[in-house]
Amino acid sequence: MKAIPLLLTSAVLLWSGMTVAAGTQYDLRVDGLACPFCAYGIEKKLKKTRGVTSVEIDLERGVVVVKAGEGAKLNEARLKQLVKDAGFTLRSMTEKPLP
Amino acid sequence: MNLYSKPNTTVIFFLTAIYCTASNAHDPVFGLGPHTLFKGATEVHFGFDRSVAGNNKLTLSTLELAYGLTGNWTARLELPYEDRDGGANGTSDIGFATKYRFWRRDSLGVQESSSAFLKVKPNTAGNNRGTGTTDSIVGLAYGYESRKWYRWAAVRYRYNGETPGNLERGDKLLLDLAGGIRLRQSSYLEPDWVWMLELNGERTAKNELNGDKVNSSGGTEWFLSPGLMWTLRNFAIKTGAQLQVISDMNGNQAESDYRARIEFEWHL
Repeated sequence: MKAIPLLLTSAVLLWSGMTVAAGTQYDLRVDGLACPFCAYGIEKKLKKTRGVTSVEIDLERGVVVVKAGEGAKLNEARLKQLVKDAGFTLRSMTEKPLP
Repeated sequence: MNLYSKPNTTVIFFLTAIYCTASNAHDPVFGLGPHTLFKGATEVHFGFDRSVAGNNKLTLSTLELAYGLTGNWTARLELPYEDRDGGANGTSDIGFATKYRFWRRDSLGVQESSSAFLKVKPNTAGNNRGTGTTDSIVGLAYGYESRKWYRWAAVRYRYNGETPGNLERGDKLLLDLAGGIRLRQSSYLEPDWVWMLELNGERTAKNELNGDKVNSSGGTEWFLSPGLMWTLRNFAIKTGAQLQVISDMNGNQAESDYRARIEFEWHL
């Protein structure tokens, strides 16, 4: 019987650990994205950032979707600077945990 | 080196026009655009220019290396190789260029910007190659870029140095107007095509030899220049031809038949 609380505790810890491990998705609204060749700078700058696992660029909507792994917390000021260094303007951003 | 002879001055005339350009990314092929590299970017660029005016023919192959100092400031090194038909060939004058984007306005799918440009071309080639002088070029460029339309305007002024033989080549003023269209709005990882048409004007002052103006030198030429940019992610090919539409050259000089250019560019 003593094993049941231990098993439950382990299950909860494992579940919560899996949730955190999934990371965070950042949706960036970027202005100035007109051509694919120039947008490469955004991909390059973001992919060099520690913890970033993928970068997708939607030129029509002016949206850059950045996925970061566990522990890689990106704040707005840092993303704004990265986008500026790439030659564009970060207009807004949202973040959500990855499922 | 007899810079006063007609073939040489014509070839040097070509060089003064070609050397004025340090185009990159989605800039016009022959004119100046406002684009700069992203911070930390390295650009490797190969360009090939062919210029023909009567019997005077020149091929210039140039390796360019550029670096993005900031998102708005690029430095560039140009290493050209010159091949004059029936004349000298070998390394030409090295060029150092920089461009600073001092204004930018971004909106959804649109970027407008303006840049200042400076280039210095020291007399490094020697042996009857290059222009035989240290020259500098300043310029201003404006560009509008959207998902479909492009437009550019630029002005450049080239200060030409004096040769050891007391020949002072006339300075050159260059004006560029260009438009472009992307007929199909490709997504980020698809090949992308932009078609362009440029109007390039060049007004060159008369040369001076020992203080006297040389009659058969300088003048005005206007070119209509169709061009094409093809890009795939971080690789670009640009090509175009300058076709003379108006020529008002002083005295007895060979008029330009055409100038053609192809460029290959990687952003790393």
